[in-house]
Amino acid sequence: MNRLQRKFEELKTRGEKGLIGFIMAGEPDMATGVECARVLQDAGCDILEIGVPYSDPIADGEVIERAHFRGIERGMNLSRGLEFMAAVRDKCELPLVMFSYFNPIHRRGMAAFASELREAGGDAVIIPDLTLEEHFRYRVQDLDVIPMVAPTTGAKRIRLADSVARSFLYCVSVAGVTGIRQNLPDLREYLLRVRANTSRPVAVGFGISSAEQVAGLKEYADALVVGSLLVGTIERYARERKGLLVELANAVAVLKAATK
Amino acid sequence: MYPDSSGYYGEFGGRFVPETLMPVLDELATRYEQIKEDPDFNTELSYYLNQYVGRPTGLYFAKRLSQALGGARIYLKREDLNHTGSHKINNTMGQALLARRMGKTRVIAETGAGQHGVATATAAAVLGLSCTVYMGARDMERQKLNVFRMQALNAEVRAVDKGSQTLKEATDEAFREYIATSDYTHYLIGSVVGPHPYPMMVRDFQSIIGRELRYQILEAEGKLPQYIIACVGGGSNAMGIFYEFLTDPVHLVGVEAGGTGLESGHHAATLNCGLPGVLHGALSTVLQDEEGQVLATHSVSAGLDYPGVGPEHSHLRQLERVEYTVATDDEVLEAFMMLCRLEGIIPALESAHAVAHAMKIAPGLARDDCLVVNLSGRGDKDVETVARLLKGGKA
Repeated sequence: MNRLQRKFEELKTRGEKGLIGFIMAGEPDMATGVECARVLQDAGCDILEIGVPYSDPIADGEVIERAHFRGIERGMNLSRGLEFMAAVRDKCELPLVMFSYFNPIHRRGMAAFASELREAGGDAVIIPDLTLEEHFRYRVQDLDVIPMVAPTTGAKRIRLADSVARSFLYCVSVAGVTGIRQNLPDLREYLLRVRANTSRPVAVGFGISSAEQVAGLKEYADALVVGSLLVGTIERYARERKGLLVELANAVAVLKAATK
Repeated sequence: MYPDSSGYYGEFGGRFVPETLMPVLDELATRYEQIKEDPDFNTELSYYLNQYVGRPTGLYFAKRLSQALGGARIYLKREDLNHTGSHKINNTMGQALLARRMGKTRVIAETGAGQHGVATATAAAVLGLSCTVYMGARDMERQKLNVFRMQALNAEVRAVDKGSQTLKEATDEAFREYIATSDYTHYLIGSVVGPHPYPMMVRDFQSIIGRELRYQILEAEGKLPQYIIACVGGGSNAMGIFYEFLTDPVHLVGVEAGGTGLESGHHAATLNCGLPGVLHGALSTVLQDEEGQVLATHSVSAGLDYPGVGPEHSHLRQLERVEYTVATDDEVLEAFMMLCRLEGIIPALESAHAVAHAMKIAPGLARDDCLVVNLSGRGDKDVETVARLLKGGKA
């Protein structure tokens, strides 16, 4: 059983849902970014997703897109993203999932990337523009690629996603890009359809930022992803290290409480 | 024939998009396959192409240019004479009719030089669809005339002020909008790029250029040309004129934007300098660094200023069926002036890349050889840029 599978087992035993935090690698800088990761873990994040800055982030909304461009300007890339992940692994025990668009991974080669990710202490990868069909063409042994499903995905494709999943499925909450949304549509029918077609744990992400949203969704999911809220906080407090760490801890504590 | 059922041209193509779009692209591919066989659709498309766009476009023998160069007989396939001034409308009429048949009420598009934006806004206006065009803020500055044309045609032009503020970012933004609104929006991609079925669909709609050329050149010369030359950014006018001749003994040459020279690093010569990679939904050739970050490009022509290229071109290059070369900004400017002065035709700077290559090779060919240049667009939009360059300013 890998670190992610163990985490979901543990959550189940405790009778609570997982909180997945998303930050961008090297934000606001490498050292502070690692501190942020540690604070997120201590405040109650169960899994950490680490984004790699990319020049054309088509699945991301404004907040995370700005973080991609800031990263590019600072010279961030997949190599440095892996370094960042290794530094986080030094300080944290929680499962780490890398989030990277496909081109940087393709440039390295999937097999090389898989071993580098493992060496950096990463447990899995989310590749938002690698479709299930292309996944079969490019997959390699020993790389846990988290499949994504969307509100437009039918039962047959959900089962296809289930067949490639090793730890969990990532359900995109809305047809759209990442970013905070005050109102999410009614996701019950969609999430029940996902549940009916997989026995794997199901995480829901995109648009989630409040305890009310977490509380409303927890009945239908095993974990909730919060990204833009954290990335936006890091953007706002980039020059106030202390304030930043306090704000992140508070935000996560509130959301984690709602998962119980 | 290519692509295969997964949308691959050999090693290139496929679909690299967020999952939300997959069912949407499946439906688009299925409906396109049905509709393109529908006689009613084809009658309707032909009607618009003939009566509204002005097809067939002429195949003009450029006598004075040929004489001045002293070699092969040079013909110009006059796509610049299409309504809206370029080949782009061949594709936008086709896709807009398809979108309407699919029940979509809105089209969105990305544009670089603005030619595709204008052609999309035009097709939307005549078919009663609403239209939003994404354009880099920098491109809006250098192509003001086309921005005004789109707005006059009732399209909303959204400025994209991120990154290099050109076609690449405009395309990123159009994809985001498509992901969010695909239930009523058709994304009308303007080149042979993007996820399957776009490269195939755009090629099919543009291949009328080559089909007309075949009978026109046989009528004029009684034989096929030795060379067909077209500029390549994303590569739609080139695919459109090459596709008909892939199995014929004709040299096909694609001309990329050499900018200030390949060694300067300021160019958009994707097939000459790029590496295999994924951009905007397909695996093709991409100008990128060793970490897979996509690079900013430079060209005197906004329409070629793009770090990607259609997957079928990557395949044709790998097969060595098509030769891909470059023309620099300076050579393009010279070709632009020469065509104006000798033939009374103001070409688009994009198309002037193809003219520049013809000028390079024609003198070395025999007098009864003939070559065809795809004159993909007219240059009214570029006169300000050219005036500035002639005064010694920067592109």
